[in-house]
Amino acid sequence: MVLLENEAFLTRLTYLYNKTRTSGTVWITMKAYNGRTKPIPRRKKKDKNALLEMEGSESKCLIRATNGKKKISTVINSKDVNRFQQAYTSVLKGCLDNLKKRERKTAKSKKAKATQ
Amino acid sequence: MVYIDSWDEYVKAVEQLCLEEPSKFRFVVKYRHCEGKLVLKGTNDKVCLKYRTEQQQDLKRLEKLNNILMRHMASK
Repeated sequence: MVLLENEAFLTRLTYLYNKTRTSGTVWITMKAYNGRTKPIPRRKKKDKNALLEMEGSESKCLIRATNGKKKISTVINSKDVNRFQQAYTSVLKGCLDNLKKRERKTAKSKKAKATQ
Repeated sequence: MVYIDSWDEYVKAVEQLCLEEPSKFRFVVKYRHCEGKLVLKGTNDKVCLKYRTEQQQDLKRLEKLNNILMRHMASK
């Protein structure tokens, strides 16, 4: 797992998408992240203070992406959410371009072409 | 595992699941370019909500949902 800066992550994500154009799949996982990399010890789970402490810490968003071979990840701080959101959206828009257009429109354009 | 067909229902269910147990919730976007298929999955390891699409228009909706979920996850 490679942990990257937000911008580097998006560049690599674009690369992953481009690599899987002819075959393959890309998975992106998004989850809440509080900076903890180890599980809470079992006996502490019952301890309310430990739980409170965990909830009290600043929450972030962890994003992982993989094509089944390479894994990349990044952490979004709450102050960076807006900026990342915009960049991420534009990456998705640019890369997820093999989806079907709205059916009505295609039907209309076909008709228009037929009448011409 | 059941796919939800209506987008509105899906969004509602996912948001609720995310708010119920934010620390256990994750959201996966799977995209396969060669087939032009997009599958969304939201789960807390007990309940799993899936939605699949091939439509371009769902991308815009996904953006909105992404926005909302990321806010929930990285708020405070």
